[in-house]
Amino acid sequence: MNAPNKTPRWGMVVDLNRCVGCQTCTIACKHANDTPPGVQWRRVLDIEHGTFPNVQREFLLVGCQHCANPSCVPVCPSGATRQRADGFVTMDYDLCIGCASCAEACPYQARTLVHDQRWYFGVATPQERQVEHPDRIGVAQKCTFCVERVDDGLAHGKVPGLDLNYTPACAAACVARAIRFGDFNDPDSEVNRLLAGTPSFQMHAELGNDPQIKYLYQVPAIPGRDLNGDAIDDALADPSNPLTGPHQPWWDYRAAMNFMLGGMSSGLMFLAWLTHQFFGLPQDAFVRLTTAAGAVMAVGLFFVFLKIGRKARFLNVLLRPQSSWMTRETYFVAIIFPALAVNLLVPQAWLPAVIGLGGLGFLYCQAKILHASKGVPAWRAPLMPWLLTATGLLEGSGLYALAHAVAPAALPYGSAAATLGAFATLATGVLWLRYRLGAKAAGIEPLARREIDRISSLVSGLGHAVPLLGFLTLAATSAVAAPVAFVTGAAAIAGGLFWKYRILTRAGFLQSHAMPKLPRRGSGARAAPYRAGYPPVLR
Amino acid sequence: MSAGGKPGFKPIADRKTVPVYCIQCVAGPDLLKVEVEDGVATRIESNYGIQDEHPGAGRVCVKAYGLIQKTYNPHRIRQPMKRTNPLKGREHDPGFVPISWDEALDLVAEKLRGIRARGILDESGYPRLAFTSGGGGTPVQYMGTWPAFMVAWGKLDQGYGSGQGLKCYHSEHLYGELWHRAFIVSPDTPYCNYVINCGNNVEAAGGVAGIWREADARVRGLKRIQVEPHLSVSGAVSAEWVPIRPKTDAAFLYGLLHRILVETDWRKNCDLPFLEQSTNFPYLLGPHGYFLRDPETLKPLIWDSEANRARIWSDAIAHPAFEGTFRVSGVELGPDEERWEHRDIEVHTVFHETIEFLRRYTPEWAEAECDVPAATVRRVADEFIAHACIGETIEIEGQTLPLRPVAVMLGKTVNNGWGGYHACWARTLLVALVGALEVPGGLVGTMVKLNRPANDRHKSVLPTVDGFMEYPFNETSREGWQGKPDLRNAYISLVPLVGHSAWAPALGPAHLPWLFQKNPPAGLPRTTKPEVWICYRSNPAISSLERERVAQQIAEFPFTVAFAYTLDETNYLADVLLPEATDLESLQLIRIGTTKTVQQFWRHQGWAIRQPVANPVVDSRDMTDIATELARRVGILGEYNEAINGGAAGCRLSREQFDYGLDPNVAHGRDEIWDAVCKAASHELTRGEEVHGVDWFREHGFMLRPYPQLQWYLYPTVKKRGLRFELPYQERILRHGTQLARRLHEAGIDWWTRQLEEYQPLPHYESFPDIWINYAKEVGRDPKDYPFFALTARSMQYSWGANAGIPLINEIAQNVAGHKGVIINRGCARELGIAEGDPVVITSPVGETSGFAVLREGIRPDTVLMIGQFDHWAMPVAKDLQLPSLNNLTSIALSLTDSTGSSADLARVAIRKGSGPRRPA
Repeated sequence: MNAPNKTPRWGMVVDLNRCVGCQTCTIACKHANDTPPGVQWRRVLDIEHGTFPNVQREFLLVGCQHCANPSCVPVCPSGATRQRADGFVTMDYDLCIGCASCAEACPYQARTLVHDQRWYFGVATPQERQVEHPDRIGVAQKCTFCVERVDDGLAHGKVPGLDLNYTPACAAACVARAIRFGDFNDPDSEVNRLLAGTPSFQMHAELGNDPQIKYLYQVPAIPGRDLNGDAIDDALADPSNPLTGPHQPWWDYRAAMNFMLGGMSSGLMFLAWLTHQFFGLPQDAFVRLTTAAGAVMAVGLFFVFLKIGRKARFLNVLLRPQSSWMTRETYFVAIIFPALAVNLLVPQAWLPAVIGLGGLGFLYCQAKILHASKGVPAWRAPLMPWLLTATGLLEGSGLYALAHAVAPAALPYGSAAATLGAFATLATGVLWLRYRLGAKAAGIEPLARREIDRISSLVSGLGHAVPLLGFLTLAATSAVAAPVAFVTGAAAIAGGLFWKYRILTRAGFLQSHAMPKLPRRGSGARAAPYRAGYPPVLR
Repeated sequence: MSAGGKPGFKPIADRKTVPVYCIQCVAGPDLLKVEVEDGVATRIESNYGIQDEHPGAGRVCVKAYGLIQKTYNPHRIRQPMKRTNPLKGREHDPGFVPISWDEALDLVAEKLRGIRARGILDESGYPRLAFTSGGGGTPVQYMGTWPAFMVAWGKLDQGYGSGQGLKCYHSEHLYGELWHRAFIVSPDTPYCNYVINCGNNVEAAGGVAGIWREADARVRGLKRIQVEPHLSVSGAVSAEWVPIRPKTDAAFLYGLLHRILVETDWRKNCDLPFLEQSTNFPYLLGPHGYFLRDPETLKPLIWDSEANRARIWSDAIAHPAFEGTFRVSGVELGPDEERWEHRDIEVHTVFHETIEFLRRYTPEWAEAECDVPAATVRRVADEFIAHACIGETIEIEGQTLPLRPVAVMLGKTVNNGWGGYHACWARTLLVALVGALEVPGGLVGTMVKLNRPANDRHKSVLPTVDGFMEYPFNETSREGWQGKPDLRNAYISLVPLVGHSAWAPALGPAHLPWLFQKNPPAGLPRTTKPEVWICYRSNPAISSLERERVAQQIAEFPFTVAFAYTLDETNYLADVLLPEATDLESLQLIRIGTTKTVQQFWRHQGWAIRQPVANPVVDSRDMTDIATELARRVGILGEYNEAINGGAAGCRLSREQFDYGLDPNVAHGRDEIWDAVCKAASHELTRGEEVHGVDWFREHGFMLRPYPQLQWYLYPTVKKRGLRFELPYQERILRHGTQLARRLHEAGIDWWTRQLEEYQPLPHYESFPDIWINYAKEVGRDPKDYPFFALTARSMQYSWGANAGIPLINEIAQNVAGHKGVIINRGCARELGIAEGDPVVITSPVGETSGFAVLREGIRPDTVLMIGQFDHWAMPVAKDLQLPSLNNLTSIALSLTDSTGSSADLARVAIRKGSGPRRPA
């Protein structure tokens, strides 16, 4: 048990043996927090395990877990999402730019964004007008653990969790007393007393967020049941299973455009610099190549701008360089574009290095943005940063080859560039195969794996085998054949764009919910024990 | 704005909240507070001020949170409306046009005055005015002083059902009241350790108090065996699910009885003192099946094994004989005062008869019938006995009582229609065998509706000569039988057990008037249509069996007045719509506390108020004002005010100790009336120590005083009166049944014959599913074409709240399995080529409904399930839900109606994949 600590650590204990899935918590939360149609900060899943007639039906409360190590906080580029010393993971709607990074980073499906005001009956009722929250439009929102109620209570000397008016609405409203709220740093708190007597689990403890909703799953004397891992995996192949994560709805083709165009262009910037620095690419060709890359990157960034919920606040993206890869990416943008402009107007010998390394930095940031999306198993896979970086270099190589095929005189191309392309292709191909084969082990769930498997032959064949052959051919021949360069470049770009588009828009399933221990209700332990062989059979 | 803050968060202390109650369903009331800002109701929260007294710790149910959207629903009827299209029916737009309240009330009053001028009964002797409401009687808690209007009016027909008899615990209501004053039965959950739950879905139907008490019991260790065809919410939180074949619960229970009484040693299993002293097991039976009685006192005889002679039941007999053959003289009292004198004949006890009766119902027999393995039957019986703790006691409020922590519960459909009697009998007998009837930890009743007085079930424990509790049977004697029914459902004539309290009409065969209107029954007066039919907080065109037929009958009514909130399927057929002030807009004081449905066991009693919370948004009127104004215009104001004074608003306004009575000759305003009720109620509660008017109640919400927990248990009262429970032998049922058969035969009524066979003293099991299977033949169909059972289940989110048109409720209900369509077993669906979300069409011999497939493992492959009651076609929002309804598939038929006048929510159906797109994600 925790040692006494003056700073509270607020959290919840949910007793799965008590919950009946009635959704009173869901609706009480909607009242207390005025959430619009379809938005449920708190809800309870209705789940089945097993097959007829050996079935168990359970109810699993879900929502923001106010993790001790929240993955949504560091990814937030604006600082709108923070964690207080007492554990509340909070939202400042006035800072948030609506980029949805936090929503992608949450492995508990806790966050959502609403872009348009919606009304339950299609038109606003007087009550909806009275309680509407325009500040929540276009920004991230989630359960706050009713932080205002708790603060209000603390300011008035109340004990949140025990004084129901100052307890999160869901916990106060629960008609089965399944939800308890309290201070985990207080050894005498009700939540700690409950935990002391009974084993509990944290959902997805393996992900390291240290979530602060702890689930009780057994009654005295009867242990809960463990679940077979393969059975869980099979069940998650069913999209109608309430545990199965739906596809993330926030990052659509617009976000994909930035990963596609940004990766390609930044990869080209780095390759152009390498070729310029070490293999004799003339400065003017470097300028042409990188200017074109800059234009491509700008288009990608424009699409991202279209995607964010609060465009007028986009500069807030710069506020969290200490942890946000999106902030860092933006800083690289702030370096790259002035450098490109100056180099275009008054070329400087030292600027190609700035542009090239800036491009590499941009590419790595972008890779880390996707990797930090902890809520999407297909994105957070360990190989993802390397796969995205390598793909960017491959696409950059492809773009270089393609550009050369179109304008061979203006953009000279040699075996060195082709060799670099071959290396990038090889690396990407190997990484992709490892990503695909290691998907299950990396925690990628069936629906996403199905998509990865579906695209894999095309990615490996068109996107990797063809460019590899092409780059090797280009590297081996002294006179570059424009058609070969064209096909090689086009295939490299197509392969990269294709997988990124599909992995973002089709394999972006959110982390499933999990119930690693099944409750077993009603032990009979307090009752008279079952007497085997009693009563005796007559005759 | 602070991090995490929302703009305008108002500190709790600065908020304005208004206390009210919610009793949209019988599991209430729950108390709540409505937050109000600038005259607009904004949020709902539990009234935590009553958490220490309320059996659900003051929490309010999920349904109550829909009340704000109900108030501000843009589809509300905004002022009185009048029909302009004389053609009525689903296919005819009613052409409602707005009228003033004055015009509307005049229109209704004129019709009612016309009736009074011609006499309130018509040529058939039936009331010209009929009134229907739903919700298990809960509308009374919303209708203000309307009951006083009905009292003042005189005879009116409240026997037109809107789902009564099949959407309730019907057999339990009737037999429960007969046997232990239990209109509703509950485990004594705080002390209970083992419950056999046949389809009882208390976590969906037991309200906050039920859920709260059961959750406490569950983590304490209560073990519940859930026996039902689909895995309900209650099944989910039970220790074990036993997927039984629909409508065979009685077979399972008979198997348990056989195991306990026949297969194993009943002497070790049972609470022998209880059987000897508190049941009719030791009573001697004559050769005609009636108790053998002492010729002088006419009291039934028991064999005293010590004295070796027969003695009357009320003698102190330490060891009554159970087994053996005894030579005895005595008389039998048969039907119609037939009397058989016997000299020195050989007789047996009821116990002997019961054992012989149960001998055939082996666990193997049960398995063949109900598809529950015989080993499970045996194990559950053994566990039940092992948990019964026979011999243990507990001290409650200083009194030592038996502790028997076991119960057997029945659900809807188990409890309705054919087989309901058998299931009720078997389960009550099971708990009686171990002495668990009406004692701590055991099976207890919550309230009475058929016995009187209404607010204290103990006071109805009055003795009969047989040693049982008196019961208000309807007369079946030659002289007393009502051969000419006074209501169209003929409940007094057909159902002796339903009694004749104010609740009885709705508990009779309330679906039969809809049948009789088209198919007049031989031997009864012609079923005339009511000249004026008033419908309040009920939608029979949706909630009835075979609802299409009901809607057609409603369309034929000459003048229908509907209290209307939004357009719905019933008021679409009405002539006048009166928008009454709804839940958060009107004023009423109700009794709370004591013991009430379903698990409302309080240690307090008192009163709670409902009041207008915010500025009105439509031109509605409080029911009290409507009732007063109609009474005035109809010319019955004096009688109306006298009815209020006499207690029709929930409390007598004058007694010996106080007089808050209203001047009978004046039309009083709403607040004036309720002020008087508040004062009388608080005076009565506190014996004058603390008298409060309506303003005090509006501020404080409720008022309570202690209520003894001992009152939860009837056993001490039964013992104090020296009485026994009328179990297991049903001599009175046999006598009434025989007499009724003669009366009906004499009256030329032959369509109730099948029902008469059910009047058995020990009810023989028959294959109840076959009744529904073979029904297809009755309508010219082949039973083989309908291979599935279709069932329904309670939705806690929707039930009885008339909230199908509330989008917030729909949103959160989607999280609970089954609220998106028809639940079908996954393996079965695979065989039928049906995938999750596919459109499916369900057909029965009489109807069709459609929805989307919801595939689950927790349902038998031979069963499909449709939660709640949907498939609306007029109610805004609800009509877009694309949800199915069992009520389209069920039938109103005499062959499906049991002797108590109840049918069941059950149909045999076929399933096929429909056309059209899958359910949208």
